[in-house]
Amino acid sequence: MQPGVRVGVIAGVVTIFLAAVGLIGNFTELNIIGEEVTFAQLMLVMIPLVAGFVATAPKVEAGELVTFTPQRAAMVGAVSGAVAGAVFGAFVVFVDAFGVERVRSVFLNVSPVLMDYLTSGRPALTAAAILTVISAIAGAAGATYRALPDAVRRPLGSAIWVTLLFGFLQRIVPIALDQLEVERDWLYSKITGGLTWVGAIVIALVAAGISVLKQQKGGAIRGAIVARRDRGAEGPRITPLSIVLMLVGLALVLIAPQVLGSVISDVLGTVMVFALLGLGLNIVVGYAGLLDLGYVFFFTLGAYSLALLTGATLNTFIGSSEPVISLNLNFYVAVPIVVVIAAVAGVLIGAPVLRLRGDYLALVTLGLGEMIVVLVTSPWLVPLVGGPQGMRDITSAAIGDFGFRDPRHFYYLALAFVALALFVSSRLASSRVGRAWTALREDEQVADAMGVSTTSYKLLAFAIGGAIGSVGGALFAVKIGSLTPASFQVLVSIQVLGIVILGGIGSLPGVITGSLVLVGLPGLLREFEEYRLLAYGAAVVAVMLLRPEGLVPNVRRSRELHEDELDQDRWVRDVVLDEGVAPTASPQGEGTG
Amino acid sequence: MSSSGSAQPVDARLSGFATLPWRRIILVVLGATIAFVVIAGAYKTLTLPGDERFSGDFWVDQIVNGLGQGAILALIALGYTLVYGILRMINFAHGEVFMAGAFISFFFADAYVKSGFLNSNTYLALTILLIVSIAGSTLVAVLLERIAYRRLRNAPRLVPLITAIGASLFIQSAFRGFFGPQPRGYPLPTLLEGSVVLAGISVAKVQLLVFITAIVAMVALQLFVNRSRTGRSMRAVAADSEIASLMGINVDRVVVITFIVGGILAGIAGLLFALAFTQVVFTMGFRPGIAAFTAAVLGGIGSIGGAALGGFVIGLLQAVGPSLFLKGFGVPSENSLRDVFVFLVLILVLVFRPGGLLGTGDAEKV
Repeated sequence: MQPGVRVGVIAGVVTIFLAAVGLIGNFTELNIIGEEVTFAQLMLVMIPLVAGFVATAPKVEAGELVTFTPQRAAMVGAVSGAVAGAVFGAFVVFVDAFGVERVRSVFLNVSPVLMDYLTSGRPALTAAAILTVISAIAGAAGATYRALPDAVRRPLGSAIWVTLLFGFLQRIVPIALDQLEVERDWLYSKITGGLTWVGAIVIALVAAGISVLKQQKGGAIRGAIVARRDRGAEGPRITPLSIVLMLVGLALVLIAPQVLGSVISDVLGTVMVFALLGLGLNIVVGYAGLLDLGYVFFFTLGAYSLALLTGATLNTFIGSSEPVISLNLNFYVAVPIVVVIAAVAGVLIGAPVLRLRGDYLALVTLGLGEMIVVLVTSPWLVPLVGGPQGMRDITSAAIGDFGFRDPRHFYYLALAFVALALFVSSRLASSRVGRAWTALREDEQVADAMGVSTTSYKLLAFAIGGAIGSVGGALFAVKIGSLTPASFQVLVSIQVLGIVILGGIGSLPGVITGSLVLVGLPGLLREFEEYRLLAYGAAVVAVMLLRPEGLVPNVRRSRELHEDELDQDRWVRDVVLDEGVAPTASPQGEGTG
Repeated sequence: MSSSGSAQPVDARLSGFATLPWRRIILVVLGATIAFVVIAGAYKTLTLPGDERFSGDFWVDQIVNGLGQGAILALIALGYTLVYGILRMINFAHGEVFMAGAFISFFFADAYVKSGFLNSNTYLALTILLIVSIAGSTLVAVLLERIAYRRLRNAPRLVPLITAIGASLFIQSAFRGFFGPQPRGYPLPTLLEGSVVLAGISVAKVQLLVFITAIVAMVALQLFVNRSRTGRSMRAVAADSEIASLMGINVDRVVVITFIVGGILAGIAGLLFALAFTQVVFTMGFRPGIAAFTAAVLGGIGSIGGAALGGFVIGLLQAVGPSLFLKGFGVPSENSLRDVFVFLVLILVLVFRPGGLLGTGDAEKV
């Protein structure tokens, strides 16, 4: 019974936290399915549900693996859910007794709206009791879900999460369908904004169906893939099927802005600017293993130097003026110059600091990043970069009459650069240089002893990473058309780091995934804009604690991180099992650090 | 770095670059430039024509302010140094621990000034505010250790640092979500308004309070670490946590106590900062946090005396530096560049003397 209570208390505190930050009260109107399922309701149900699921996790006790029987699991889950609901209910009763307005004078988001929503006009104690009962049911459901046989659990799980995902994508999918002139009122309601019930059920059935199919045919497909990979060692690995798939994917990427409309193209443009920054930082952090917290330095450098090279207008109090340096170069001439400037800057600032050990290097780069932010804001450099007012009229990188300020056009410009950066990164990773970086990252002293010139390769990583980042800055300048220091805060460095980490350090698909999740999702759900940084922080901590290799891990990197566990596995396999002794403790699931 | 068909292996070409003393050259140029700016700037500022020149009183004021701010930075820096000494990790979120104390005590201060309690019973009110601020900071510090850091005790070094950055962002955003993004004016009791004259120098009462409180806290910390039984176990764990645990010291407990002590000091610093600058906002922890970290590194991270010394040096530099070194060059609003000094010091110390002023000078490379 103990674990259920503990998890329940934690879940209750988490719910109170979410309510206090406003993630419940501000979203009582955000409909996900019909008018019945709102984001706020989902929060209130999902937290005890997850609590019930977590509380019934199998665990090792006194050297034996303990799993719960379904009945007992449901009990433990119900208890943890009930505790979570009771803790949150106690909060509701407390706020009610103390007076909403008095609490609100400190906690801005504990509002009458939230309280009305939670109590729906009933006395607070009754409301708390109802919350407890609902949470207990949810907790039991979560525990039961774990106890279900795989054949039921997998389809059910994917039905739920795919439906919710489509519910959250209510700003994208309907617009895309409208652009394609597909009738969509049966799927997304115009009145509630979210999914209709019919649509939700259809999506759930389709998702469940796909999951069942995958389960039945999955083994066969996987077998075929493995067989083909084994054959691939001798013959060509590219089959007609993979060519068709690649062409379809390419076509989808190319027509995306036409299908999705300019709002989503705009968000995708930002995603790609951050993907470029992520790819650059990935070389420094992921390949060479140098933690750079001042990556905003290259972003700022790229944006401002592009503006000065292509000519821009300063915003001043009395109107506008020319900056001290203004060269009126063509964008396509200016970008290579920006790249060279950034690479040289990378070497110049890298040379003094690269001998430092990892965490010191991180802090020094943080200082450098912060310094450039202070400098572009300061009145000292107003004649050059416009200070706090910034500058405008930056080139639209036009080819003939085709400018890239329109989000749907900018998409292609950014896409070209992202593709180039991806190509460069992937070629570098498998080159001699990439292997030198890997050696550096894994053990600097050994790499040095093996004849890898550590300083040179570190500088090279800094220069190349910085150059890619500066292109991100240059594109940002083209996209926005005007620059103010507000866009160049130290937070940019941390956001880019979050992208690289969430996706998986050293993994190229990871960088793309990371920027889609961390930049794309909040950009598409404007309501959540305020909570973006909260999500960044939580995502970074959670990834580091639970899955340090990220969402789409780099294989080698993942092996490095889990070396201990692999050793344990090997030990169990070789030593314990060979001697015919049962392992005393399961090495799996013993923490992933 | 082209991968063209050159027969020469990549490494041979790179080593040609490496054998040139590039690093040495860049270092010398960097050092010479900074020395020039410091010397020429100071000379030019002090020899400005009569009406532009700063008066003696101006410099005295700046030095007093610098000492006050240095005292606050020293208190925060001690938190970095203590944690680094025990766990060898940079607690990047320590600035947020400091912010938490100041912010939470604001609501009490605000209520007290509205009810008149702050001015009628100033000493009692300030004591309560101090306790609240300490409690807020300590709570955040302990939660941080328990939730974010404990599981990463044996992880590769960069993992806890990245976690700390995430935690820092998370705490900031959470405070923004709880209490709103706008800065709040922190009330100052009337008793602390104005200034007193000490030995012919006029000192703002707040600065005096800041200075005295900080010194008392630092002396108390020194006594705690050197004289108490717990302090002895802290030093033992800092020296070698494995041996310490074999000697029967509960390392987990010592780590928690370290975070508590750091939290207490940050709480004190938070209240003092709020009183000195009469404002709290959810981002207030970042810049002082970096400045304090710089102070800890400058003094020699891991050394308690060093953190205190570093705090005062950085505080003075922030207060006096921009006027002394930049005004002479005619840089407008030179004070907006004060943080540049902090970062420059950070870089210079780490490049030229990574062990810090009172540190050992080795071991911090590689």
